[in-house]
Amino acid sequence: MQFFKLLRHLFIPHESNNQKAKLLHSSSLSLLAVGLIAFQLVLGFAHKAFPQVLGYAANISPAEVIRLTNTQRVANGLGALTENSTLDGAALAKGNDMLAKGYWAHFAPDGTSPWSFFLKFGYKYKYAGENLARDFPDAASAINAWMNSPSHKENILNPNYREIGIGVVEGNLAGADTTVIVQFFGAPLSGEAAIPVAKAKEVLPSTVKSTSAPTSTPIPTPTPAPTMTPTPASGEAVIFISPFNSTKNISLLVTGILILVLSIDLIVVRRQRIARIGGRTLAHLAYFGMILAVILILKAGQII
Amino acid sequence: MKSISKHLSHYMALFGILLAGFAGLILFSYDKNFQVAVALALSLSYVAWGVTHHYLHKDLHIETFIEYLVVAALGFVIIFSLLLRT
Repeated sequence: MQFFKLLRHLFIPHESNNQKAKLLHSSSLSLLAVGLIAFQLVLGFAHKAFPQVLGYAANISPAEVIRLTNTQRVANGLGALTENSTLDGAALAKGNDMLAKGYWAHFAPDGTSPWSFFLKFGYKYKYAGENLARDFPDAASAINAWMNSPSHKENILNPNYREIGIGVVEGNLAGADTTVIVQFFGAPLSGEAAIPVAKAKEVLPSTVKSTSAPTSTPIPTPTPAPTMTPTPASGEAVIFISPFNSTKNISLLVTGILILVLSIDLIVVRRQRIARIGGRTLAHLAYFGMILAVILILKAGQII
Repeated sequence: MKSISKHLSHYMALFGILLAGFAGLILFSYDKNFQVAVALALSLSYVAWGVTHHYLHKDLHIETFIEYLVVAALGFVIIFSLLLRT
């Protein structure tokens, strides 16, 4: 009985709560806000203290990225790409370069182009392309995001490419812990008689309508064998708790409960014609309804 | 629904604010800083709407102002914490 009284006190306008659900009192709402801030602080602390349990490391293996890329190509009547270890190394080097220099872009602040990594590793290309993704929890989410972006999709489904290399790096990028996926595409230059002009294709941000910037980049004199040894990608990390998903679930719970209590409040107050000083329940409902829509739409992960 | 028809212009303005905020958060998904700014502007606009609405309705009290402030702050904390983790 006491439990039901508590529920009524928390959720339904009644004499015990001054005709307003206790959860809707300013003090309770403040407590909720403080609780959510504390939750974020705990998440941040837990990530540092228990990186293996709660991390930004995603369950992304380069092999899975390649498999899903080829699935998309085959489904669209194209040939599967072959994994090239030189491209793997170049992609990994690009990812590490982004972490080291703290940039999230196709071109480094110092002007280093994606194509320079191809050449540094001795990959002489006829065609080359790059897709970048970060903060995705798994390979499938990243591939889906790329396939939903016309310019990135065009890269994945480009019939000129023959080979693929994937680099997955984890670390702190400009202050944010993240997992970066670098996807390099290429078609090797066959024959040494003539050195043609490469058609390097850069994927522009998905918001830009232009699908490509086929800048002509002259191939320099053939470089010797790769000088850098590709290091294994840290692709086998297992994530147990995702900070984004935890935050999203908690936010959904809090917002859902508030919308429920506000709806009950709206009905009870109208039915019982309760007069009270306070904000408009309908306005609060609309506000939290919009917050709910934002929570549902926001997704982890960015692509360029 | 009587209050909506009675203050149709007020609620139209509120829905306009919410819609603009929602659109801003979606359209500028490539710029996290701008999204935070949009979320903050949305919350402050909500408080401003509440104050204006109750002032015109002649029932603006300090408790009402605090309520809008707390509701807006809670909404901002929710959106901000999500943006922090995307």
